[in-house]
Amino acid sequence: MISLLGLDDAYHAPWFIALIALFALSLVLCSLRRLALFVKEKKTIVLPEEDRLLKMDLHSYIPEKDFSETLGLLARRYRLALGDGRGAVLERGRLSRYGVFIIHASIIIILAGGLMGLLFGYRGFVTLKVGETKDRLTLRGKSPAEVPLGFALTCKDFKVNFYPTGEPKDFVSSVEIVENGKAVLGKEIRVNEPLSYKGIRFYQSHYGSAPVFFFNVGGEKVALMEREAFRKNSLLLMVARYESRVHDFGPGVLVAYLDGGEPKATWFLKNVDRLREQDLEGVRVSLNDIQEQLYTGLEASRDPGVFVVWAGFVFILFGLYVNFFVRHRRIYLLKVPGGLLVAGTALRNRGDLDKEFKNLLEEIHGHTP
Amino acid sequence: MAIHHKILGVATLLYLLVFFLHILYFSLKKEKALSAIWITLYGTICIHTLGLVLRWIESYRMDIGHVPLANFYESLIFFAWSVTFMLIVMRKKIPYPVITMCASLASLFLMGYASISPSVDRSIQPLIPALQSNWLHIHVITCFVAYAAFVISFVCGLLYFVEWKGVVPPKEVLDNINYRSVIIGFPMLSAGILTGAVWAHYAWGSYWSWDPKETWSLITWIIYALFLHARLVSGWREKRIALISIIGFMSVIFTYFGVNFILSGLHTYAT
Repeated sequence: MISLLGLDDAYHAPWFIALIALFALSLVLCSLRRLALFVKEKKTIVLPEEDRLLKMDLHSYIPEKDFSETLGLLARRYRLALGDGRGAVLERGRLSRYGVFIIHASIIIILAGGLMGLLFGYRGFVTLKVGETKDRLTLRGKSPAEVPLGFALTCKDFKVNFYPTGEPKDFVSSVEIVENGKAVLGKEIRVNEPLSYKGIRFYQSHYGSAPVFFFNVGGEKVALMEREAFRKNSLLLMVARYESRVHDFGPGVLVAYLDGGEPKATWFLKNVDRLREQDLEGVRVSLNDIQEQLYTGLEASRDPGVFVVWAGFVFILFGLYVNFFVRHRRIYLLKVPGGLLVAGTALRNRGDLDKEFKNLLEEIHGHTP
Repeated sequence: MAIHHKILGVATLLYLLVFFLHILYFSLKKEKALSAIWITLYGTICIHTLGLVLRWIESYRMDIGHVPLANFYESLIFFAWSVTFMLIVMRKKIPYPVITMCASLASLFLMGYASISPSVDRSIQPLIPALQSNWLHIHVITCFVAYAAFVISFVCGLLYFVEWKGVVPPKEVLDNINYRSVIIGFPMLSAGILTGAVWAHYAWGSYWSWDPKETWSLITWIIYALFLHARLVSGWREKRIALISIIGFMSVIFTYFGVNFILSGLHTYAT
């Protein structure tokens, strides 16, 4: 039941993705409606009559001042939105009106970037012993699968540095990218310093040590880890299990192989001569050595949507700033008998409009051409 | 005991003094007591900052130098600092001693918890590899400044339900201060989540992993987004807004403490 509803992996479950899609759709519709509203509102800026202006919080008569001179003064700080024979409307910070739109559009962009990652990206890992080269990564998921990288990755060295207190300070994998048999790039991968090559990123994720078994299979030297398979002519063998002590005979390893299509297994014991070398399917197999070897675990991922997500992040922060901290205000300038009437309103983020309006009036009064 | 511990101890005592000065103000109602409160608060943040700086210097002397923003103890100390910082930033907008009193009580609690609780490790620890990044500073600072703004919002939300003439400011004033702190906190929380996502991309290989802390910070973000929508779109005011700010802060608390203690995840080094 739980797995049917996808509760074990809720964030990838169809119902969860459907919910997000529904959310995105409503965002799109809301944003469009709002945008239409603002555009319409911009077209309908009017200069109200005197009695309406007098009802505004901030208004003042300025006797015997020239209209165009005052307008010129105001236009230094405000943008002219409307000008006719009766007077003018000036404003500042109109961008603030679009803050909401920018924020909501950014969320859509971020979700789109996330979707691109889900559709065209993947996550997996590569485990490399020192000296080992691999050209494919193992995908994460319910059924592990392998994906070719298109190039090969060699681990040249792996180091762990510790603080004097014994805590890990640094994990460093020195790797080399090999393409068409040529080393094209060498880099040290650390935590917080991934390697990026052809859209695939490799992150230092973990490390460990594991026994490596050195076999001689029909004259060919191979190093295998647990669960690794090797084929020589008709013989397919796999290291099934490692025991550090098989009864009193020391370390041993259980090797599985196919005998005429039938799976069989046999123990190789390092310290017992008779069991160190055996014939399997007519191929001479001998266990030469067992060594503990460090391996590095690299997280590997491809996400073409990541830059879209970054762009969304930048836009949303800009939008939040614009929406909450850019002040949208309008100044009305009306010609009245014997002078001018100035009025001001804050349409969004009032801030310190009172002070600003006072300064403005002082400037107009004090201005002598 | 290292010198930075002593200095931070002095800062804790100063927060206590700030509290008593408020009591003094409410009993005497003298303007002098009010200016004494602010002078002490400025002094406190100086001492508090000095404590943080000395701890920073000490970490370099130990050869594991890093900004003191790396473990639970350091985050508690920085949280308290951020609350005081936010009070000073919003000073002009909150000329009501009852708000500064509640907020500095929050600082006092955080400082006290940090220095007394046996479960908090107060030593300077070396940075584990995952934390060795410049994103650490910006991520932690934005998150805690946001939390601090939400503390003030929460205080306003709580005071809304307290009837006490002459001490608690009028309800529409509380409502306004509540909104003002959320419009600082919300963009800061957004910045905190986004910088965390960018950092996670470089450190863990994915900008979003649905780690419990990430998920809860998203839940908190959604609650405050609802707060803003309720106020700006649906025109909600006062009582319902106060309730949302209280719920929002519960979510902040769970994101900060609850996730550390109850759920394990990628952020476990913060405990």
